[in-house]
Amino acid sequence: MKKPVRKRSSFNNQLLKIGSLSKRGLAGWLIIVGAILVIAIIVMTGISPWIRPYDPIAINVGPILAPPSNQHLFGTNDLGQDVFSRVLSGGGVMLQVSLLSVIVCLAIGVPLGLFASYAGGIPDRVVGLVMDSLYAFPGLVLAIAIAAMLGRGVINMALSIAVVYIPSYFRVIRSQVLSIKETSYIEAADAIGARNRTILSRYVLPNIVPSIVVVATVNFADAILTAAGLTFIGLGVPVTVPDWGLDLTSGQRLLTSGAWWVISYPGLMIILLALGFTLMGEGLSEMLNPRLEQ
Amino acid sequence: MTLRTYVVARILLTIPMILILLTMVFLIIRVLPGDPVLLHLEKHATPAAVEQMRHQLGLDKPLWQQYFDYLLGIFRGDLGLSMQDYSSVGQQIFSAFPATLELAIYSMMIAASLGIFLGVQASKAYNKPQDHVIRIFGIVTYAIPVFFLGMVLQLTLGLGLHWLPVGQRFNPTIAIPQSPWYVDLNTPFSTSLISSLFKIRSVHLSTGLYTFDSLLEGNIFKFIESLRYLCLPSLTLGLVLSGVFIRLTRSNMFETLRLDFVTAARARGLRETRVTYSYALRNAFLPVLTMVGLQFAALLGGAVLTETTFSWPGLGRYIVDRINFRDYTAIQGAVIVFGLFVSMVSLAVDLLYAYLDPRIRL
Amino acid sequence: MKNIRAIGRMIIIGIIIVIIVIAGVVGYYLTLPTGPSAKDTLVMGTTDSVETNLDPAHAYDYFGWEIIRSLGAGLVDYLPGATGPSDIIPDLATDWNVSSDGLQWTFTLRQGVKYDDGTIFNATHVKYTFDRNIRMQDPNGAFVGIGFGDIIQNITVVDTYTVRFYLTTPYPFFLTLIAGQECVMVDPKYAPMHGSSWNATDSIYYTEGDPRASNPMGLGPYTLANWTRTAGKDQAMKLVANPNYWNASAGIPKTKNIIIQFYQSSATLTLAMENGEVDIAFRQLTVTDIKTMQSNTNLQVWQGTGNFIQYLCMQERYSPFNETKIRQAVGAAINRTMLVSTVFQGQAQNLYTMIPIGMAYHKNVFQDLGDPNYTRTQELLASYGFNATNKLTFDLYYETTGHYPQSPQVAQVLKASIEASGVITVNLQSLEWAAMGSARNAGTMQAFIYGWYPDYIDPDDYIQPFMQTSGGTWLNLNYSNPEMDQLIGWARGNTTDSVRNTLYEQIQDLSAIDCPQIPIYQGTAYAVTSLKVKGVYLDITQNWRPWLLYAEQ
Repeated sequence: MKKPVRKRSSFNNQLLKIGSLSKRGLAGWLIIVGAILVIAIIVMTGISPWIRPYDPIAINVGPILAPPSNQHLFGTNDLGQDVFSRVLSGGGVMLQVSLLSVIVCLAIGVPLGLFASYAGGIPDRVVGLVMDSLYAFPGLVLAIAIAAMLGRGVINMALSIAVVYIPSYFRVIRSQVLSIKETSYIEAADAIGARNRTILSRYVLPNIVPSIVVVATVNFADAILTAAGLTFIGLGVPVTVPDWGLDLTSGQRLLTSGAWWVISYPGLMIILLALGFTLMGEGLSEMLNPRLEQ
Repeated sequence: MTLRTYVVARILLTIPMILILLTMVFLIIRVLPGDPVLLHLEKHATPAAVEQMRHQLGLDKPLWQQYFDYLLGIFRGDLGLSMQDYSSVGQQIFSAFPATLELAIYSMMIAASLGIFLGVQASKAYNKPQDHVIRIFGIVTYAIPVFFLGMVLQLTLGLGLHWLPVGQRFNPTIAIPQSPWYVDLNTPFSTSLISSLFKIRSVHLSTGLYTFDSLLEGNIFKFIESLRYLCLPSLTLGLVLSGVFIRLTRSNMFETLRLDFVTAARARGLRETRVTYSYALRNAFLPVLTMVGLQFAALLGGAVLTETTFSWPGLGRYIVDRINFRDYTAIQGAVIVFGLFVSMVSLAVDLLYAYLDPRIRL
Repeated sequence: MKNIRAIGRMIIIGIIIVIIVIAGVVGYYLTLPTGPSAKDTLVMGTTDSVETNLDPAHAYDYFGWEIIRSLGAGLVDYLPGATGPSDIIPDLATDWNVSSDGLQWTFTLRQGVKYDDGTIFNATHVKYTFDRNIRMQDPNGAFVGIGFGDIIQNITVVDTYTVRFYLTTPYPFFLTLIAGQECVMVDPKYAPMHGSSWNATDSIYYTEGDPRASNPMGLGPYTLANWTRTAGKDQAMKLVANPNYWNASAGIPKTKNIIIQFYQSSATLTLAMENGEVDIAFRQLTVTDIKTMQSNTNLQVWQGTGNFIQYLCMQERYSPFNETKIRQAVGAAINRTMLVSTVFQGQAQNLYTMIPIGMAYHKNVFQDLGDPNYTRTQELLASYGFNATNKLTFDLYYETTGHYPQSPQVAQVLKASIEASGVITVNLQSLEWAAMGSARNAGTMQAFIYGWYPDYIDPDDYIQPFMQTSGGTWLNLNYSNPEMDQLIGWARGNTTDSVRNTLYEQIQDLSAIDCPQIPIYQGTAYAVTSLKVKGVYLDITQNWRPWLLYAEQ
């Protein structure tokens, strides 16, 4: 049997667009800058055990609450811990939490969205209803409720963030699937007797990947901010793990003493990490859905 | 589909959504590990005392019965008893709610007006440096953890200016604003119903929004005071949320400014500001309205952190406190109220949108 | 034509704006509050709050007791600046004596003291108060916690102004119990019995909009004029001078109005203090905040004896801490000096026994164990096969709710200190305060850091609840030593000071061997006020006395 001729899918079109990143003006730059930020932070966290001058959780390695100096580039905090070492090593928790939550969302949200919206009818309605109800919750509030029940730790934080974010994936996938469902090449594939599963994986899925990627980057950014928020409320990781969010929380008490360095640097890192993902998301979404053609 | 059909359908749709919401909260809370009953029974937690507390809170019934009691209670407005002091959770939430509402309103106002203004500026200078700066500003403010921004503002504007308070909601030395209208609940009829429900003897018909109540009271000083206390918290939350409005206004304005009727208005010699704000902005109104509704959930989430940073006595701070007490009835009640609030707002926005824009009903 | 219209419109808008501004300014000044002048009012900020309610039979928290004592008066009180039981002075009782067998305490009451409705205070009110509080059997309250019902057999009205307590066994420190803040008199009108007998449900809770109904007291220096609680969280309180107070002629209270503002965190409280929004800041200020304010010349920082201690608890029901030597080994590995200097920067003291510094019979028994002595730790553990390659591992729990100052920091430094021995690994676990209470009741924590505020000012309160088998059931560490029980029983029942001294020394010596708990540090009390505020007393009783505060003009 002759192999069916594949039309050049929009997926390939989109790939080509990304290929010429730097020629795309601001959008391209956003992606590049964002990616650099994220990768730099990941690398920094990864190699931190080798480049950090002190053990980040060792206490009294320096005078208490000392301002930045040559021995302590970012100063020390109220336990005499070196802020610079803590900044280098503190991204691990946030990266893990956001990565885990994105994985969970992808693992659950994508298949759910695909099957429910492609099937249409009652499954679509029911799942959609549940998703809308979830969406009605302010994300942080639901994450707080779940984290309060499950307890502390990276996995629980990631799970609570994931539960809050699945509806976003669902919505985006659903709108994309609905628009693709009626296109001619899907009809063609159906006509030649391709199974639903094949249609979904070979034809539908590749076309919605870019949108999923956009949502995923925003998910990363939100997960980081939500993780910081959960830690601020006290539902984060134990104090023996260096974490930027933890430094912000415990550093809040020190603001009034003028020790600005204890929170400024970790806070800056959180902003940079969230910013990196947001920039990537902004650039990608602009690239894939150009609205403002000159 | 007529407007009426849409309205009815939309409202009917809310019912199962709320039911699902309530069930989800119930399920989440029941996973709670640890026995909430042994909370405060310190030195002499006799089995009898433990049983008494369990019974008082209705925790000794089978799970499905607890579920139905829970649903029935919510319809009656009874959200259970706080585990800390057995007072009505409903009443506690009722008293905490206006603070969050006021914070939300002012923050949204700041976010929207700042966002619209900057968005307009950006759209006028498309792809020029001004545009890029504003866009980056919008993105960066979103990436700042809201409690971090709050702390920074506390230090710089609060301590620096020495005029803006850094915490609390009102001046402690003067009475809180209340409307002059007063209902005495000691009459036989109302005593039974309301005063037993809320344990209050008389009530000022106040909204609980200090800015509004002080105007009702006619007290300008209190009005200024309440604004003074609102300043930093709403500025913090408003800044963080403004980014979305910037982006939205920018793209909408850009499209609108290129439409024919705008060129025609310009050709007729109308001033540029008039063109921008009267004609073009009117078209941006609907999307902004929708965005307000969509952002409400995010707003409430940010309010939780803002309230904690500024000691703002609202629902957000209530939830955080209750977590430390493992007061799960209160957490449950507050999460429900949050969810209901967002549902109501999105329902209102949807209905308003449908009324204003005929296209959506199709 | 168009221009004139435009100009005209601008003029009208300008006039309207000017009118609004003028109206606003006028309105502002017209509505400026003429409330109590600064001289009559002091504003106090705190991060504490009333944990449950203001009923002495139910409340068991520090702040609750402070307010209860401001609204009510007891039979006896402590002299401001007190150092011990010898500083107990008359309050509603003018005189008292104890029978030779130590079983009967008779109090002569002050005459002419009035409740707010004119009722004269007499012995029946004393009986009513104690009967009520004891029979309510509220498991949350101090009366059950301290065991008043086991101590007092009955209260008898001898005559109008004489009341007698019959005890079950002699308690030499009974007077200090009566001097406790929870033993203030209630006003029967506001503390009625609802059923046919007293029940825990008779407790008086917060009533919205009705401060008088929110507390059962009535004879104190202040009345509760306002108590706002939003959503279960205290917002503000206002104490106004009680016109019927028996000691009003001496000028008590010194300041007519006290407003209490509740803050979420030490940081916001400190900012408010520095901003001049409050006159007094008391509890719980962090170490760095106190240091900051110490260097602020516009503020004065008051320092006083603390009676708050923290100690390490170890569960003896199962391994590893069922072995005394292992407990000793951990005790020897604690570097108190490092902890006090790192976490508290000198704002606390090393504690070498459970009885705090400044209290009678205090003896530094744990100092010999090690301060720290890592060699001893290693030797003691070696006999169980623990060494550098096979380390003793245990979980150490701390609380995260801010119930104690800087718990996460204390936990981290403690971990570092113990691990510096080289043969122990400590895993930190955290729990919210309430969950920690549950875990304590269930006995599931291997080791945890706990604290103690005294119920009454006597060494017995730092020994019996911890080292006596029956007294220590709440802590649930399963420590039991019949020799210790015997010593404690004797010490409790003996009235001779020298005998008690010897007994408590023996008790403390034994505690350093048995190590039921390891004392760590004792906190120092701090309060911060503006320069004009005087009358702050921070003594061993830790009683906060707002009725002595005043502002110098």
